[in-house]
Amino acid sequence: MSTLQTLQDILVREYRLTHEQVGPEAVLSTLGLDSLSVLELMFKIEDRFLLKIADNTPTDLVTVSDVVRYIDGLLALQAPVGTAAQTSVRASM
Amino acid sequence: MTCRVAITGLGVIAPLGNSVDALFTDLIAGRSGIRRLTSARSERLRSPIGAPADFDSAALFSPIRLRMLDRVSQLALLAAGQAIADARLTFASESRERCGVFVGTSMGGVVTTDEAYHSMYGERSERVQPLCVVAAMNNAPAAWIGIDHGLKGPNLTYSTACSSSAVALGEAASRIRCGEVDVMLAGGAEAPLTYGVLRAWEAMRTLATPDPIDPATSCRPFSHNRSGLVIGEGAAFVVLEEWQHARARGAHIHAEFSGYGLTSDVAHITRPTVEGQGTAMRAALRSAQLDPGRIDYINAHGTATSQNDAVETAAIKDVFGERARAIPVSSTKSMHGHLLGAAGALEFVISVVALERGTVPPTMHLNVPDPACDLDYVPEHARSGLPLRAVMSNSFAFGGTNAVLIAEAVDDAHGPRF
Repeated sequence: MSTLQTLQDILVREYRLTHEQVGPEAVLSTLGLDSLSVLELMFKIEDRFLLKIADNTPTDLVTVSDVVRYIDGLLALQAPVGTAAQTSVRASM
Repeated sequence: MTCRVAITGLGVIAPLGNSVDALFTDLIAGRSGIRRLTSARSERLRSPIGAPADFDSAALFSPIRLRMLDRVSQLALLAAGQAIADARLTFASESRERCGVFVGTSMGGVVTTDEAYHSMYGERSERVQPLCVVAAMNNAPAAWIGIDHGLKGPNLTYSTACSSSAVALGEAASRIRCGEVDVMLAGGAEAPLTYGVLRAWEAMRTLATPDPIDPATSCRPFSHNRSGLVIGEGAAFVVLEEWQHARARGAHIHAEFSGYGLTSDVAHITRPTVEGQGTAMRAALRSAQLDPGRIDYINAHGTATSQNDAVETAAIKDVFGERARAIPVSSTKSMHGHLLGAAGALEFVISVVALERGTVPPTMHLNVPDPACDLDYVPEHARSGLPLRAVMSNSFAFGGTNAVLIAEAVDDAHGPRF
């Protein structure tokens, strides 16, 4: 599953949205996700992608594809430390 | 300027029913909403009973909305929505700055707080839900009601433990009486059935011992074998309206909100006093300009603790004298449990419906007389066909804030009271 598909899956399951609503250009605020809701979405993303997201999440995530780019960026940075990083995230939960 | 206050809308989400009609039908039938709890960690409780509200939050709120709403705000929004619908108010022609919201809650968004503490201290997680603060804050229920219905007047939250929502109602009525506002949504909400909260109450040795055969009968106000209170959850709201405002729009007036007495014990932090409770009842009677002889029904605070029930009985006798034994006094907590900060509003709604229908709900599970409790508690069976003109609802609290409310039957021939 691509990053986009996984993110769409989270949005559909957790926020009871339809696949049609969560296309790449869909605007998060239009979907009902304000800035605090986007912060909460980051928890779901951490769990699903096994990522560690810092407290200073960017606030300029406007569309679904903005979030996809952000996740891909984190994956690229955190993938090399792979197993170790994932283990520590899991242990802290 | 002193305005009369009309009660034009009622709404409840309560252990026994999610509408005023359903609730009252159950109360008259003597049904109890108290049961063995099955929620997380309840098996670790010594007294694993409570009176939960039963509603489908996923069907009633969107998932995004739900993340911002603690259970206490969900209950409040649903009950307030019912009261507004009952009053047939759309706020289309009202001046919104003259419409407000007063809410009473003792513990606020404690489900959120409890879960966050469990996650942080229990599971050693470093993550806290970003919506934790706005979900848990005590004024969230009032804020959401104001936002949803566009009410721009005063928006306040009262927290005086178990008299919180009686205070909210009384203060709201006072704002209308003095002409500051036209319409007030006033009520209470409480969602305290979490492991952390119930353990804390257990630690005070105030909770009832569960009946081993039928847990539904565990709360026994005024009975010699009473063993303490049973905590319930829910919300109750009323629409209070300036009399002429209500008449001008042709609203149905359930009753007149005519009296509010507010006093403080300034004694022990938990132990009630006959004097404090009595002076609150007298203050409410003065506020309604009624002689004690005019009260036809009292919905007692009646928690089923050893202390409260004996002290409240003595206070009623002190205020009403010889006539005390002739007044039906019931504690509906025997069926819906103690809704803490929401109790006063719920019991006032029940009192108003009793007044309208001439039917008094019973005190259930009162089967062993206590010499210290010798009033007419309407034991075991409701009483109907009563010509009720004025009813009193008592709310007392840890901390000592006593609030007593009075409602009177609508009598068009009566003319202006003030």
